[in-house]
Amino acid sequence: MTLLNVAIPAAPGRVTWNREAIGFVAGFLLLALLPLVFGDSYSRHVLIMIFIYAVVASNWDLSLGYGGVFNFGHLALFGIGVYTYSLLAKLAGVDPWIALVAGGVIATLAAVLVTIPILRLKGIYIILVTFGFAQLVMQVIVSQSDLTGGTQGLVRVPGLYIFDHNMIRDGKIAYFYIALALLVLSTLFLRLFVRSRAGASIVALRDNEEYAISRGVSLVRQRMVTLAASAFFTGIAGAFYAAYQRNASIDVFGMSLATIILSMVLLGGTATIYGAIVASFVLTVFSEAMADFGAWRLMISALLIIVIMLVYPSGLVGMIRAAWTAVADRIKRPA
Amino acid sequence: MSVFSDIFFGGLFQGSLYAMMAVGLALVWTTIGVFNFSHGVFMMLGAYFAWQLVAFGLPVVIAFPLAVIVMAGAGWILQASVVRPLIGRPNIVLVVVITTLAAGSLIENGALTVWGPRSKQLPSLIEGNTTIAGVGVSLHQIAIIVITPLILAALWSFLNRTRLGLALRAVAQNEDASHLVGLNVTALYGLAFAIAASLAGLAGIFMGGYRFMNPSMGADPLLKALIVVVFGGISSISGPIFAAYLIGFFEAASNYYFGLYWTPALLFLVLIATLMVRPEGIFASRSRGLA
Repeated sequence: MTLLNVAIPAAPGRVTWNREAIGFVAGFLLLALLPLVFGDSYSRHVLIMIFIYAVVASNWDLSLGYGGVFNFGHLALFGIGVYTYSLLAKLAGVDPWIALVAGGVIATLAAVLVTIPILRLKGIYIILVTFGFAQLVMQVIVSQSDLTGGTQGLVRVPGLYIFDHNMIRDGKIAYFYIALALLVLSTLFLRLFVRSRAGASIVALRDNEEYAISRGVSLVRQRMVTLAASAFFTGIAGAFYAAYQRNASIDVFGMSLATIILSMVLLGGTATIYGAIVASFVLTVFSEAMADFGAWRLMISALLIIVIMLVYPSGLVGMIRAAWTAVADRIKRPA
Repeated sequence: MSVFSDIFFGGLFQGSLYAMMAVGLALVWTTIGVFNFSHGVFMMLGAYFAWQLVAFGLPVVIAFPLAVIVMAGAGWILQASVVRPLIGRPNIVLVVVITTLAAGSLIENGALTVWGPRSKQLPSLIEGNTTIAGVGVSLHQIAIIVITPLILAALWSFLNRTRLGLALRAVAQNEDASHLVGLNVTALYGLAFAIAASLAGLAGIFMGGYRFMNPSMGADPLLKALIVVVFGGISSISGPIFAAYLIGFFEAASNYYFGLYWTPALLFLVLIATLMVRPEGIFASRSRGLA
């Protein structure tokens, strides 16, 4: 981890540490004030879900966007977090907070395990193996129905606690701040990682593998570090999701959730981290706004994803950048 | 003896279905270089089109081929709408995965809205049962076992013996050179998708004849087809066909000896072992091309 500590020198077009730190603090302070505006528990529930999705999507952006590793088993890591927490907290009687961290640890170990077969592979083969891995995890959970409840899932999973505070009748304020704290920690970790030398080396591997290797970057080690790093907070998010929903079901392995989260990553614009978080807000709010449309909701979402991918391949961030450049040009050179 | 013929027959039958699915995936991958994640949904759509045509009162002999032809059109439309506009983008593999996944979700939910969640069943190709080597089988399954190799052989001779098929292989081998010699590459992309969609639709019709259909019926066959193409090598047509039957036999044997629940895990282990020893698949040659 010594690689992490050495900052890379400033480069042209790169936002400086100070400016990013100010934006980071301001952005999350704004989020922390949201409960003042949204007092009802439904809005807060939507915000909590947004935070969870944002953690999962932004961590996926690390392996997919920065690392260029098409890990389609990312949601399986989330699911592993869900089931690790549920099994430990419900059946083994482990303290919920310890089970929460265990969710992240087990997901990280699983990520290391799935990295082994894909070390020598490229592109589409990585998609196929990781996709198969996700299905395998689901099959194993379904088959061990004595423990996991199979397709029925687990109910009455213990929630988190803070001393004697009543987590259920507080208008979800405690869960809101835990979810936000999770997002802050995860984002901080991800941004530090991608701005470090390790982050630069995985981008180098993505953009020019032969050259990066010839300059001494280890493909094997960096790929493992990338996937393990993207797994930890994903697993914790899964554990938190189980604690918050108080149940575990195999729906988390389904294609529909994977598609939604993946579109958050791509919609936000890959290799930005922040893009995935912004897209989580946009997509979740959009999806909730259409809750009355039933089956049409999924169809409209799918259509929207296709249209955005066709028109703005660089995602929402690309769209905002294009708009910004256009506005800036107007201001600089009044017609 | 009965155990062996049970496994042999089951493997042959499953292998036929996997081969039909996997060939379409491989065809699209070799020609366009993208992976079609709505392939499983095509399978479902073919079965539902056939069901709808039968429900309209058409005889099976007309309804089934008609559904396959309609599926060719559906494949063409999907290609023109969510794949063709993306060709030339640097991250096309990833973007097409997401657009075909989204298109698959769109079609699946559309089917759910149109036909409802209730399970349906298609008429069998041939009614009746028989006993071969001590195993009771339906004639429908026998028909599938016999028809599939014929269709795959027809596809093979199309790709190797006709000008159009050769043109398709040329695009698969070298797109720029194909442009230079005046091939209509865009149309050939559409053709590859149309053929793949028809084959998937046919597999769906076969499946709908012995198992209940529902809008999400394509998910599991898609996964199996993925395993098959990885196992057999994605860069040819013959590799996945052999692999499909091998996987079919393996699955049948594993179901018998290790049980239904452990089979997916074992399949996955086989897949990983294959990838670690021969990442290009066990039947693959080193070059990309159709044959």
